[in-house]
Amino acid sequence: MTTIDSGERRRAVDARPLITELIDAPTVESIAGEAWIALVGEDEVLIPIPGDLPVDPLSAWVDVVGPWTGSVVLTTGRRTAAELTRALLGPAAPAELEDEDVADAFGEIANVVGGNVKAALPGPSGLSLPDVGDAPAVRNPADLCRIDVLWRGQPVAISVQGALPALPLTH
Amino acid sequence: MRALVIDDSRAMRRIVTAILEGLGYEVRGAGHGREGLDVLDEGWIPELVCVDWNMPVMDGLQFVSAVRSNPSWRSITLMMVTSESEHTQIVRALAAGAHEYVIKPFTADAIRDKLALLGLLPQEVAL
Repeated sequence: MTTIDSGERRRAVDARPLITELIDAPTVESIAGEAWIALVGEDEVLIPIPGDLPVDPLSAWVDVVGPWTGSVVLTTGRRTAAELTRALLGPAAPAELEDEDVADAFGEIANVVGGNVKAALPGPSGLSLPDVGDAPAVRNPADLCRIDVLWRGQPVAISVQGALPALPLTH
Repeated sequence: MRALVIDDSRAMRRIVTAILEGLGYEVRGAGHGREGLDVLDEGWIPELVCVDWNMPVMDGLQFVSAVRSNPSWRSITLMMVTSESEHTQIVRALAAGAHEYVIKPFTADAIRDKLALLGLLPQEVAL
């Protein structure tokens, strides 16, 4: 059987919108700012000034699957993630935070920011459960909307990044 | 009054629990829909359930459908508290039997206002 490459599949992939055509940095900043005020505290503002992330960052992200597919990734230093957890839990925070507490709270912030980013994108789309660890790789620098902010003087990066092209297999 | 808070995030359960306890509710928590059904099966029947959408094991929509399919749980008011804010998702949740829908992030006032609309503010708070 002869298979004719009509280029249809390639065109379908090429036709996928880039995130920069769908959402802009001020919108992401506004979504994150609202999430911070509601979850972290009324006076907890994000200042749109880039800062250098520490060498041992921690990321929390959710995946969006739909007409645009990718991840909404929050990255900050581990100490800042712990401080965020304490702020989120308030008086209910345990005296000594476990890694699990930080993963849970930081993941929930990513979930809220990601859910609201998803709502600003064309749908219908699905949202994954949050994941915490090393940030997923940026696949296509053109399919990326990133903001860098400071929270309590510490850098936080928020990236909305496409999942294509697929990463090469490594054996 | 009793409330059951179902969310896979312990942090979010603590936040919602603190709000509801501040309003005078006796609150229990569950980490996913199946755990929530286990609480109801025990016979601990709340006036209100606040349930997240995206959770492992059993998600919020499945939980809402399960509660609505059991006539003995008809008195329970179901409020989805979730970051799913697409209009189509809200319609799905309401069609499945949720009474109210609160989008994360929310404020304590937003929860209180929704409960007031539902007539579920404990009397001493409502006055």
